[in-house]
Amino acid sequence: MQPIWYLIKKEFKQVFRTREMLSIIFIAPMIQMLVLGFAISTEVKNVSLIIADFDRSRISREILQAFEHTDRFRVVGYETSYRGIETAIHRWHAQMAIIIPADFGRNLQRGLQPEVQVIVDGLDGNTAGVALGYASGIFQRFGEVWLQQRAVARAAAASPPGHRVVVEDRLWYNLDLKPEQYMIPGIVVVLVTIISMMLSAMSLVREKEIGTLEQLIVTPLKRYQLVLGKILPFLILTFIELGIVLMAAQLIFGIRIAGSYTLLAGLAFLYLFATLGLGILISTITHTQQQAMFVSWFFIVFMILMSGFFVPIENMPGVLQKVTYINPMRYFMYIMREIFQKGSSLQFLLKDWLPMTAFGLVIFTFSVLKFQKRLT
Amino acid sequence: MKTSWHRIIAIARKEFLHILHDPRSLVVIFILPTFQLIMFGYALDMEIKNVDLAVLDYSRSPISQRLIQTFDGSPFFRVRHFTGSPAELETVFLQRKARAVLMIHSDFARDVQRRPATPVQIIVDAVDPNAATLIRSYCLQVINEFNRRYGGESRLPFDVEKAIWFNPDLKSAYFFVPGLLALILIMLCALLTSVTITREKEMGTLEQILVSPVQAREIIVGKVIPYILISMIIGALILSIGIFLFGVPFEGSYTLLVLFSFIYIITALSIGLMISTVAHTQQVALMMAQMATLLPTIILSGFIFPISSMPAPLQWLSNIVPAKYYLKIVRGIMLKGNTFDQLLEPAGVLLLMALVLFFIARRRFSLHL
Amino acid sequence: MNSRKISVQTRDLTKRFGRFTAVNRVSLQVYEGEIFGFLGANGAGKTTLIRMLTGLLKPSEGEGFVAGYDIWRQAEAIKRHIGYMSQRFSLYEDLTAEENLTFYGGIYGLNRRDIENRKRELFAHVGLQPFANQMTRDLPLGFKQRLALACALLHDPPIVFLDEPTSGVDPRARRNFWNLIYQTAQLGKTVFVTTHFMDEAEYCHRVGIMHMGKIIALGAPGRLKQKYRKSTMQDVFIELHRLSEEQA
Repeated sequence: MQPIWYLIKKEFKQVFRTREMLSIIFIAPMIQMLVLGFAISTEVKNVSLIIADFDRSRISREILQAFEHTDRFRVVGYETSYRGIETAIHRWHAQMAIIIPADFGRNLQRGLQPEVQVIVDGLDGNTAGVALGYASGIFQRFGEVWLQQRAVARAAAASPPGHRVVVEDRLWYNLDLKPEQYMIPGIVVVLVTIISMMLSAMSLVREKEIGTLEQLIVTPLKRYQLVLGKILPFLILTFIELGIVLMAAQLIFGIRIAGSYTLLAGLAFLYLFATLGLGILISTITHTQQQAMFVSWFFIVFMILMSGFFVPIENMPGVLQKVTYINPMRYFMYIMREIFQKGSSLQFLLKDWLPMTAFGLVIFTFSVLKFQKRLT
Repeated sequence: MKTSWHRIIAIARKEFLHILHDPRSLVVIFILPTFQLIMFGYALDMEIKNVDLAVLDYSRSPISQRLIQTFDGSPFFRVRHFTGSPAELETVFLQRKARAVLMIHSDFARDVQRRPATPVQIIVDAVDPNAATLIRSYCLQVINEFNRRYGGESRLPFDVEKAIWFNPDLKSAYFFVPGLLALILIMLCALLTSVTITREKEMGTLEQILVSPVQAREIIVGKVIPYILISMIIGALILSIGIFLFGVPFEGSYTLLVLFSFIYIITALSIGLMISTVAHTQQVALMMAQMATLLPTIILSGFIFPISSMPAPLQWLSNIVPAKYYLKIVRGIMLKGNTFDQLLEPAGVLLLMALVLFFIARRRFSLHL
Repeated sequence: MNSRKISVQTRDLTKRFGRFTAVNRVSLQVYEGEIFGFLGANGAGKTTLIRMLTGLLKPSEGEGFVAGYDIWRQAEAIKRHIGYMSQRFSLYEDLTAEENLTFYGGIYGLNRRDIENRKRELFAHVGLQPFANQMTRDLPLGFKQRLALACALLHDPPIVFLDEPTSGVDPRARRNFWNLIYQTAQLGKTVFVTTHFMDEAEYCHRVGIMHMGKIIALGAPGRLKQKYRKSTMQDVFIELHRLSEEQA
């Protein structure tokens, strides 16, 4: 055990002596957390909207007011020609246009089933889809109210308009549908992964590159001791960082954790074995820090994408859904979110932490075996 | 002293040799972005389909069956029958067996006959608020459909005609191919340049170059030329995958795109150069370059998350992210067929950024070596 | 001399990198307490040989024993009995001189008191006391090399391998360093040293001269000078080169 202890001490000295490293490890994640936390709301707001009202009736004004009074849309202009609408969308001035044709109000009252037009710039497919959904909702509500009013105006004629089934919906866990409650735990996972993988991937290859590894190899140090001595310092650093980021999540974003901290920390420990092991593995197969950086960048992007962080796993095609099972981050992402929001327990998370731990052990063993105490 | 093209070419050639002599790096540089692009292409679909819906049917009547069938028949839901008691409902969510639960009470069939409005209950696991919102609206759509079919509900008194321009099927490839182009170019350029100079500093080979009559600007230009070429090749690679594999159209002018991409690449390289004047070790340089490019480009460029939905300070911050402008340019040229004059604004800002960054990098470079 | 114990022994030791044979059937014996010099131009195969003996590289063919252990099967056991100073300075530049020694003391499994004692002894031995708390990157090269030697001697190994320990330092520093090597040998340690400075060959008890992966001469410097009728090792070396060139 003693040699490992000295390795850890050495690693800490080196980190704490480099001011840039300190800020990279501790300050940068805070900033990233702030920016990400505020930026990643999957909510779509302020979609720039252009309105062309060729009807100019009381009814059309009523519809348009509904669009003006929601923060989903931001009305950026009123156009009087189709040409103007086209230019506005082409020049990125507006993302959506609503066109109410002439005589819309009159035709509506005559029961002629008139037509309104919605044009959306589909380049950002997600925003476009959501914005269309909002617009449809507004029209729907307007139509229902209008029908009801007419029914009332016709003074409760023969019978009520048929039998309807209505939805009573209830939300569990995230009652206010706050996006932070969902995204922040995810961001914590991403930050912890990035820092742990980068640090471990770079550290061994750095020693290779500057030549200090050669001196270490001629010592009687055992392979597992060397690998552990490299992993443990970063495990500790990442844990400190995890603590800081979690604290920030609560203080700045007011996220509350429903489950147990001990459970979270314990499972984080198991997860970090996987990421740190992966980092070490990367540094054994690469020769320069630059390569290590590129390879770990690749792994990180892959892991983030396949973790359900912002693209839900259910949305992926079947084959890719299977691929997510070899991604340790997938499991920890679930664990983090479930513990944070549902207060889930070890028993319900079994199908996550079991494969995650297995992955960690395999990758760690593999990187120890792969690491040769020889020069090639 | 005059700038000598001989010296610049000598440096550029040396830099090329570094790259060519290290096949591993070459593989990493070319294969990884390609792989990522293809992966993104198949994975990045934000629309939620096939939500697992657990059903608790206490009514067990023909009409409740019909309601369940309507849910099952929609593309949004996959019905899973739940047989436990209501008290065990929470385990459905804890074990993540379903995202929503539909409960039909025992008097449902009778009530539907007699009452004008009969409730059914839907409980949504709202851990993912985005999904929860969508699930709610899907439920409404399904119920509306059911009412129209079986309840004699009248339809809306007017129609809404929807037209989606540029991307009628809302294919995600249309927006992530330009996004990935912006991301990969800036990361490659910044990472490669930041390291190339720091490595020479760390290895002590920069001294050797500095004692020769070569000038700072010659070093910069010479070091940057190979990476401009590599980036252009990779850019072309990404574009052709996007066009041929994912069927993204190309409406505008290729020349225009090459021209504006060049400006963007210069911006990215200048960021790398600036980092190399600050950082003393490759490790620090790499981490700084990664932080300056990866997250800002993914988050603050409009690549995935719409800028207009962000709080004001972040919208302001997004103005200094080069990828924001480049993304507009690429999307504009490829998909909208934008012309030069329609892109003057983003291109102008990008050019200004490139010039300012390059000037600062050059100043710092000659001062700090 | 043959009655003395053998520290290092090789028979037909060979190392190939692809088609290139870096070390070609080298056989030699080094005795306890001896300063054995390994001479040769750059690229003659000296470093490769040392790396095989220290367990850094696996040989392609042949036998080798260091401190009685087989280099094929007992590389880890060898590591406990040798000190090594690599050609390229390979201690941590961002630790102080003293921290480097403490670190390696810990790696070799010395206890805290032993580490303190050894540090004090070795700093005195190599004359580094005034610089103990300086950042290693700020030390002049000559002192860095003394530090590397101290590090190689830290766990009191019976054999030390020094790979071009004096390259790049001025003649006076080289002279001082060789004094240290002598003192080390007087402690009963075997010193296996490579160099391309022929004047340094004069300080060795015995030398092996390497050319293109082969040993072309082996013996005490005095004997070799006698044999080839030259007054300096420099001239012996040039003569040997000429002869082997003629043979080829």
